[in-house]
Amino acid sequence: MENQTINVPGAEGFAQPRTRRDFFKALAVAGVGAAAGTTLITSEAFAQGGGDADIFNFALTLEFLERDFYQMALDRGVLSGAALGVVTNLRDHEQAHVDAITAALLGAGATPVAKPEFTFPPESLASQAGVIKLASVLEPTGVGAYLGAAPMIKSPDLLEAAGTIAGVEGDHVVAIKNLQGIVPPANVAFAQALTKDQVLAAIAPFLGMAAMPATGGPGE
Amino acid sequence: MDVDTGRTSPVEFDREHSRRSFLKTAAWATAALSAAGIGGFAASTRFANAQAGPNYPTYQGLGDAAILGFALQLERLEGTFYARGVDAGLFSGPALAQIATIRDHEMAHVDAIASTLAAVGAPVPPVPNLTFPPGTFDDPGAFLKLAATFEPVGIGAYGGAAGALESKDLLAAALSIHNVECQHRVAINILNGVLPPNNLAFEPTLPFGAVGAAVAPFGVTPG
Repeated sequence: MENQTINVPGAEGFAQPRTRRDFFKALAVAGVGAAAGTTLITSEAFAQGGGDADIFNFALTLEFLERDFYQMALDRGVLSGAALGVVTNLRDHEQAHVDAITAALLGAGATPVAKPEFTFPPESLASQAGVIKLASVLEPTGVGAYLGAAPMIKSPDLLEAAGTIAGVEGDHVVAIKNLQGIVPPANVAFAQALTKDQVLAAIAPFLGMAAMPATGGPGE
Repeated sequence: MDVDTGRTSPVEFDREHSRRSFLKTAAWATAALSAAGIGGFAASTRFANAQAGPNYPTYQGLGDAAILGFALQLERLEGTFYARGVDAGLFSGPALAQIATIRDHEMAHVDAIASTLAAVGAPVPPVPNLTFPPGTFDDPGAFLKLAATFEPVGIGAYGGAAGALESKDLLAAALSIHNVECQHRVAINILNGVLPPNNLAFEPTLPFGAVGAAVAPFGVTPG
């Protein structure tokens, strides 16, 4: 029997940014700083502090990251067979998520963040194994980000929508594990939430940063 | 919420097992799930549907304990199903490893939910008298076909109920389990030879009534 304790460390990390300034600092690290000041749009769906817009813009950045990576991987032509089919769907799904989140933000009167420029390690795009390896990092990060942020989403409509996307990131985790030859590919009893800082640390390398800048978190 | 709406009459389960009866059974199970509104989703429009007509209101008013109690029964249904599949000796090798692991996951969900209910002083519903269509455990293909219909029900239930949960801790836990059910769906796709196995852009949610109707033929009733 596997772990039977539900441990959701992410909720607090997203729930109570230590200060508003720290939260913006974190967003800036994510490459959305330029637009962060304009994301706090008051609207019905994103009322009560604008947290939902922040969360969805953060999610949008992650979806951009994944979509760009899979698009680049496909453009390189290093994929074939089952991996090509899986990654093609990954690209299509992430694009659908980008479109859906953008529409949700616009529909609520919020401003979607601009897509950052991402850089990926050359080896991650040089071979099929490299693509799969980085995908195996990105997908659990996406799952963890949604699970960590979900308890902070105020609108139940948006929460339900976020769940439909988070589940697909979970789908992706198993499809990638299968390509990696992990048996059995579905091998986690409880999906792990991540704190905002954990997500930022995971994606910082693709934003052109060698190391994770301070975000004002504990221990600093 | 009238969960009996759309309920499909259970078939006679005392028929003798045979290949022929399985074919009828498979049609029955498919019909039951189809009657519940499951299947036929246009995945690409599902997000828009969720925006336009979310399903969480159908769970509102039940209360966290009742939602959790219903989730417990769904997990018991799944856990029992996979346990019997393992015990029936239908699988070997990597397929057995996956089915046994999914069984363990569902049982872990059962234990987690039951202990949560107990911890908050809520009643733990009795173990339901589960029943499966004849032939379910006679053939790997039959088993996997039913598995492919069970997982979306669990996914739809958790995804639909999430927005109705008042406790943020329970919400976080529910979505953690929801994600694992999604992972199971893809694992079953892999065993069923679905290529590529990650074949949905959005994981649909289901209204409470549809979930109740889908699982009623197996002996699970809400509350």
